[in-house]
Amino acid sequence: MTIRPPSRIVRPAATVVAALVLLLLAPRWLDRGTLNDLWSIAFAIVLASAWNILGGFAGQISIGYSAFLGIGAYTTALLSLKGIGPYWTLPLGALLGAAFSYVVGLPTFRLRGPYFTIATIGVSEAIRVYAAGVSYTGGSSGLRMPPGTFDFGRDYAAMMILAAAVVLLSIWIRSSALGKALSAVRQDIDAAEALGVQSTRVKLIAHALSAGIVALAGGLFAINFQYISPGSVFDFRLSLSIVLMPIVGGIGTVAGPILGAIIFSYLQIKLLSTPALRDSYLFLYGGLLMLVMLFEPRGLVGAWQRLQGLMRLPMRRAVPRV
Amino acid sequence: MSDALLIASSITKSFGGLLALNGVSFEVEAGQIFGVIGPNGAGKTTLFSCLVGAARPTSGEIRFLGDRIDGLPNWAVVSRGVVRTHQIVRPFRQMTVRENVSVGAHFGVGRRRGAEAAWRVDSILEKTGLAGRAESLAGTLSIGESKRLEIARALATEPSVLCLDEVMGGLNPSEIQGAMTLIRSLRDSGLTVLLIEHHVHAVVGLSDRILVLNFGEKIAEGNPGVVMSDPAVMSAYLGEDELAGAAS
Repeated sequence: MTIRPPSRIVRPAATVVAALVLLLLAPRWLDRGTLNDLWSIAFAIVLASAWNILGGFAGQISIGYSAFLGIGAYTTALLSLKGIGPYWTLPLGALLGAAFSYVVGLPTFRLRGPYFTIATIGVSEAIRVYAAGVSYTGGSSGLRMPPGTFDFGRDYAAMMILAAAVVLLSIWIRSSALGKALSAVRQDIDAAEALGVQSTRVKLIAHALSAGIVALAGGLFAINFQYISPGSVFDFRLSLSIVLMPIVGGIGTVAGPILGAIIFSYLQIKLLSTPALRDSYLFLYGGLLMLVMLFEPRGLVGAWQRLQGLMRLPMRRAVPRV
Repeated sequence: MSDALLIASSITKSFGGLLALNGVSFEVEAGQIFGVIGPNGAGKTTLFSCLVGAARPTSGEIRFLGDRIDGLPNWAVVSRGVVRTHQIVRPFRQMTVRENVSVGAHFGVGRRRGAEAAWRVDSILEKTGLAGRAESLAGTLSIGESKRLEIARALATEPSVLCLDEVMGGLNPSEIQGAMTLIRSLRDSGLTVLLIEHHVHAVVGLSDRILVLNFGEKIAEGNPGVVMSDPAVMSAYLGEDELAGAAS
């Protein structure tokens, strides 16, 4: 019998755990501003890596992930206002996010073609309009968390742990039976079914996992920012960013979404601190996306692998043809 | 009712106005190699699609171990033990050969996990001569290797009925010999094999029974010797004029 090459799981997992320990110790050395930036980067890594479980591994492109972020954020805000400890509300938010993903996926995953993608846009916009229209969500003016629920140290630690957990989950899925089924479905759905893979079922599982994780991140978002509104958590631009990060970094890989998330949040932090460039980040994202699509559809991870490949080849073939 | 393993009764499949299969009936006994031959467009691949649930027959019924399986989705038929390979190979190109075969082991009938799956995958790779290419990406295989990968993946689902759709197409004579040996050994290990094949010598040499289709209809069924000397079969394969010429 063969033993799975340990380097595919053990080494990446050990790296993630080591990074987590460092990040949890970081508040001893770093100032609050830097920690805030780290929180934003970890938040982006959670969103990008979670999206990648369905969009990358299974190839089902959703442009409606702000719906799950919003469901998590509103669940936490509404229940906290009822007097429940905000961290106790997180599992329910995750559960609601996963349940909602099932409602969106069940009718659309059975269809072939772009129906799922189109449905995700419609559903997330519908839920934004709903959240802005009804009274118990505070309408378009949003909700403020009750006083005494803010504790940055706690929220920082929770976000770091969540980010590490999502990356560990991705590493595990990649070499699991579920991961192989998702990859098979992405590459040739009929051939996958011909080997006994229930394509609709594995897509629903991947969707529920990633939606639940994004809803968790939404809950932590509500706790950290203390104020949420349809314009902040159900923003369509947010859904777009969640898609662009893994694509720029390298869709369907574990490292790609992390890389994309770091680059995007770094850009956003820099741009937001420069008033003249405040609103130019979408323009920059669009430019990055076009570059990736034109020159390296496998993203930065793909470009890196190509570079490594070139260095391994004899010199005469490494010289680019002009 | 007959106790045959697989029973197809008057299978009809139409695509719009085109009648791909017209009232085809046959029975396959357990442990047989059952050949399906016929000219291009005779409906052979459509018949396999109907058997495994990739296509739904317009009318007729299919029974496996006495239960109706027509109308079930493809994955459900596979999980009961009827699996097919594809004439035009469909490997998961971005996965290694080992990972391709693992998909069959993880799902299908056995739903094996962990070491048990790995052990089965290894033995199948060995049996199909792919052990040396286990870590290669499936997209880099030659046509002969790709055909063997199709068989290996199907075997990994632990079927009782294996439907092979032209696994010898595009192979050289020595590879065909190898494929024939493999198919015989599968039958000897207890598998029931349905075989679509254009190499008439291979199919006659291997099959216990042969079904001949022409324009979606069954024109003959029986032992290879009897079927191949049937006038209807000869005219379907050679054409009326050639037959007349050969007779004179």
